[in-house]
Order: sequence, then C-alpha cells, then structure tokens
Amino acid sequence: MIGLNETTAKRLAHFSLLFFSLLSFAAAQPTLRVSAQDYDDFSRVIVTLPSALSTTLEKDGNLLLVRINSTSPFRLRTEPVKSRFIKSFSWVTSSDLYIIVIEVRHERFRQDSFQIEKKRQLVIDFYELTAPPAAEAAGMEAQQVPPEPEKKEETPPAVEAALPPVEGSPAAAKGIRTIVIDPGHGGLEVGAKGKFGTLEKDVTLAISLRLKALIEKNLAFHVELTRDRDMDVTLENRAAIANNHRAELFISIHANSSYRRNANGSETFFLSLNATDEEARRLAYLENNSADLDKPLATENKDDIMMILWDMAQSAYLKQSQRLAEIIQDELNSLLGTKDRGIKQAPFKVLTGVACPAVLVEAAFISNPEEERDLVQEAFQENVAQAIYRGLVSYIKLLS
Amino acid sequence: MKKRRITPAQWTLFGLSLIVVLVLAAVLFRGERGEGVKSTVGMSPPESPPEPAPAREAKTVLLFFLSEDDSLLHPEQREILSGPSIVEEAEQAVEELIRGSDKGYVSPLPPETKLRQLFVTKDGVAFVDLSREIMEKHPSGSSAELATVYSIVNTLAYNFKPIKKVFILVEGSEKETLGGHINLSQPFVPLYSLNAK
Repeated sequence: MIGLNETTAKRLAHFSLLFFSLLSFAAAQPTLRVSAQDYDDFSRVIVTLPSALSTTLEKDGNLLLVRINSTSPFRLRTEPVKSRFIKSFSWVTSSDLYIIVIEVRHERFRQDSFQIEKKRQLVIDFYELTAPPAAEAAGMEAQQVPPEPEKKEETPPAVEAALPPVEGSPAAAKGIRTIVIDPGHGGLEVGAKGKFGTLEKDVTLAISLRLKALIEKNLAFHVELTRDRDMDVTLENRAAIANNHRAELFISIHANSSYRRNANGSETFFLSLNATDEEARRLAYLENNSADLDKPLATENKDDIMMILWDMAQSAYLKQSQRLAEIIQDELNSLLGTKDRGIKQAPFKVLTGVACPAVLVEAAFISNPEEERDLVQEAFQENVAQAIYRGLVSYIKLLS
Repeated sequence: MKKRRITPAQWTLFGLSLIVVLVLAAVLFRGERGEGVKSTVGMSPPESPPEPAPAREAKTVLLFFLSEDDSLLHPEQREILSGPSIVEEAEQAVEELIRGSDKGYVSPLPPETKLRQLFVTKDGVAFVDLSREIMEKHPSGSSAELATVYSIVNTLAYNFKPIKKVFILVEGSEKETLGGHINLSQPFVPLYSLNAK
C-alpha cells in the first residue's frame, strides 16, 4: 500500500509538473504562425518563424511540404484558410523537425518563395498553372519551347526570380513517360487458389504481360512491370518501383476470391483512406488546439511522420484514381461479359504509397469454377488486357 | 524379535508436538490469508470480494456476416452475456462471429480461428489478436479479406461505443495483410458502406 501511495504521489507530481510546464510554455513559448491571403493572380502563404530558421520546400502532388529544423520547441498557430487556391494547412512534428503541409486545391501549381525579415518570415506565392503538366509534355513542344525563356527575360520581377529550381518536378515529366503494371502476388506468395488448381499469381502475370505488349505496341509509353516472372516482391517495393520510375499510372492486376463458389464478377478498386482519415482528423484537431499543447506529436518519431506523408502520396491522387477506376470498369463491363461489381474503395497495402493515379483490377473470381476456367483462357486474358488498355487510352485522352 | 514399545510419555510428547505444529500452521495460514486480503484491498477494489456474481444479464448485439449474393455485410442478432466490461462483451461478439451465422450467411472468419486476446486502449483502439488460422485457412482474395476485416471492425464499432478503431493482430503480432491485399498495419475505422441497407 505504501508503494501505491508513492506511485500516486509521483503521478501527482508528474501531473503538476506537466501542468505548470504547459502553463509556462503557453505563456512564454515562441510561436510559428501560418496564414494565407489571395491576390489577383496568386495566393500568398506567410509562415512567420519564431526565430531565423532555414526552411526547405518539397512539392508532392497537390501538397507543398515546408520542412523546418529547430531544436527549440515552439507552438504552431494557423489561421482559418479562406483562399480560392490554398485548401488547408496541417503539420507534423518530432523532436527537432517540423513539417508544415500546405494542401493546394490541385497539383497544377508552381510556387515561388523567399525569406524576409532577417529570415524570420517565409513567403510562398502559389501560381495556378492553366495547362496540366501532361499536356505540356505531350503536345506542341516545338512551338512552346521558344516563347518560354523569352517571357522570363522580359519580365524579371522578384516574383519570377526563383523559377528555375521550383520547376524541377514538372520538368521531370518531360522524360520518358512510364506506366507501371503490377502483377499481383508471385513466388511463395501464390495468392488465391482455384478449385482446379489455378494460381492467382500465374493469371495476374499472364494478363500483365499481355497488357504491357498492348501498351508498348500502341502508345508512346514505357511499361515497367513490378515483376516479369514468378518471383516474390514485397508490397512496399511494388509501390517503390512505381515511384522510382516516376510512373504516371499504376495498375495492379489481381484475380478475386471469396468463401463460396457463387461469388463472381469483375471490379476495380482504388484506395480508401479509412484508417488514415482518422489520422488526418487528428492532425486537424491538433492544429486547431495547438495553443494548449506544446509538442502534440512528441511521441511520434520521424518514421511515423514519413509514414503519414507517404500515405498522403496516394491521397493526393484519389480523385484521379477514382476516375481511372471508373473508366477501366466500364471497359471491363463491355468486354468481359462478367457481372459488374462496380468500383470500390478499400485500404489496399499495395496502393498506399503510390505517388500517381493507381487502381487495382480484380478481373474475375478464381474461387468461382466457371470464372476460373475463363481466367486460364488466353482469349479471356487478352480481353482483360484489352479492356484495361482501352481504359488507359481514354484516361490519357482525358488528360490532354 | 524385540518389539519397541511406545511409552505413554512418548505419546504425550508426540501429541504435544502435533498440537504445536497444527497451531503454528493455522497461525501462518491465517496470517498469509490476512495479508492476501489486505493486499487485494490495497490494489484493486473490484477484485477484492469474490462477489456472489450478480447473475450476468443477457445483452443483444448485432453481428455482421457476409452474403455472397450482394457481397455486403448483413446484421444478425445474437445474445451474449453482459459485462463485466466491454472487453468480455467484445470477446463474445468476436467468438460468435467465428461460430458463424444462424441465417445462412457466411462467416468471413474461418471456423478454426481462435480469439487469442482482445483488449481496448484508453483512446478507443480495440486490439483483436487472432490465431494463425485467420491467415492459413483464408481464401485470400480482395473481397474475402475486405469481408473478414470489416465484419470484425463493423461489429465491434457498431455495438461498443468506446471502440473507435480496431487493430487486427495475428498470433500476437502485426501483419502486413491477411493474404496480400488489405493493409493490416493500421487500425481500421468502421466502413458502414459495406453493410447492407
């Protein structure tokens, strides 16, 4: 009992210590503020730093990440965002790294930044790009290239000065354009098994190879497979292959399976953030209540931060992934004659980290004996590949 | 042969020592028990009296099973015993899910599966630790995995208010997926769009 009293007393002491330290932090702790304001042709975000700190910017889809290294803790305050172009602010932090996540309404923007007030204010101007980067890369390059540098030379106000480093990422899209196809499962991981012994990993590879051939024959895209033979590839590596090749589209190919043999049909999935939505809400909550908390995410280490941001990679492409899923599902319906199971959202591991529009196609049910017979037929495999190919063509047309 | 006789004096000595031993044992035993009771009182009140178990009442929960006709989760009423805490109730709900449907729906948890442990953290995350059969006997398709995960998640979150999220463990540890599809490395919030209307 004495022991218990001691721990109670210790806890009380800890609580009061925490309480007073929170109070003193609230009174004295330096604050970082973030605000947004719209101008005629751009939106300006001002980050007021507690001291002269260096910052680095990184564009990730429709997000701009502002990294701030600081060993001394500070609170973060954000004003409610009322901007036609800036959607929201959120932030994550660990012991000595703060990341402010600026969410922009879409990814077609370029930003221009400079630090003023002896590096105590970071000003970031967001300009909306009218043409999607894909269209820029695809057409009329001969005509577009000359006017651009001239324009830069004619109008060299402070705003335009920082353009070259900023344009780094859209420029990368001008290289070879890549689609990554992911044949589900492989190696020891055989996937679902049919009644007649068909293995999901074999069906997915066969369809993927056909799809690759179709694309490379007819489109100006390079196709990268996450595996081109029967081998193990981790789910994380599949996403990493897509990101390392700067894939513009990611298609994961699977064959479905359920408990009873009557389950049948084709469906296309895109990622749901059911689990990470909650994290997003938590971040939003912390952001709004940061006045009362000195280091709200102190328990999280940098790996967790990277995980959250990694998850955001696909979250930036959900709308496009949904559109891609709809288009592919329509083609599957018209070519396969299978039951239309529609498009669905689910937290698929393989899609989580992919930084481009990404879908997962379930061609048919290997657990349904009739569909299992279909799945091993070359004609059916070719139809699945053809349907996905047609979907990709319409989607790419939509972009340009 | 010479028989050894036990003298009356020896009898008395034996009897006395027996009494001493008995008394000592009784005192020690009482003392031990006394201490035991004291420490229970000091530690956690609910456990102290072995309460005459206030006959646990029945409680109705809704279990969500899979229908292969529409691939949705359908509710089915089931009686479980109430209390003493939601942990025991949640355990029964998961065990009933494994036991299966009375209405002909599919239980997306293989019948060989055992619930190893279930606990709920203060911030409302239920950790459901299942035996290896949940993976080994699983048909391993996207639809099957979705049904497995969300029959557990939706059942627990629907019936037990304090449970906000569910983290599924297999044999005590975190798994990436059940069979290569649905991400198990994060806690799930319920997805009621998978429930039949």
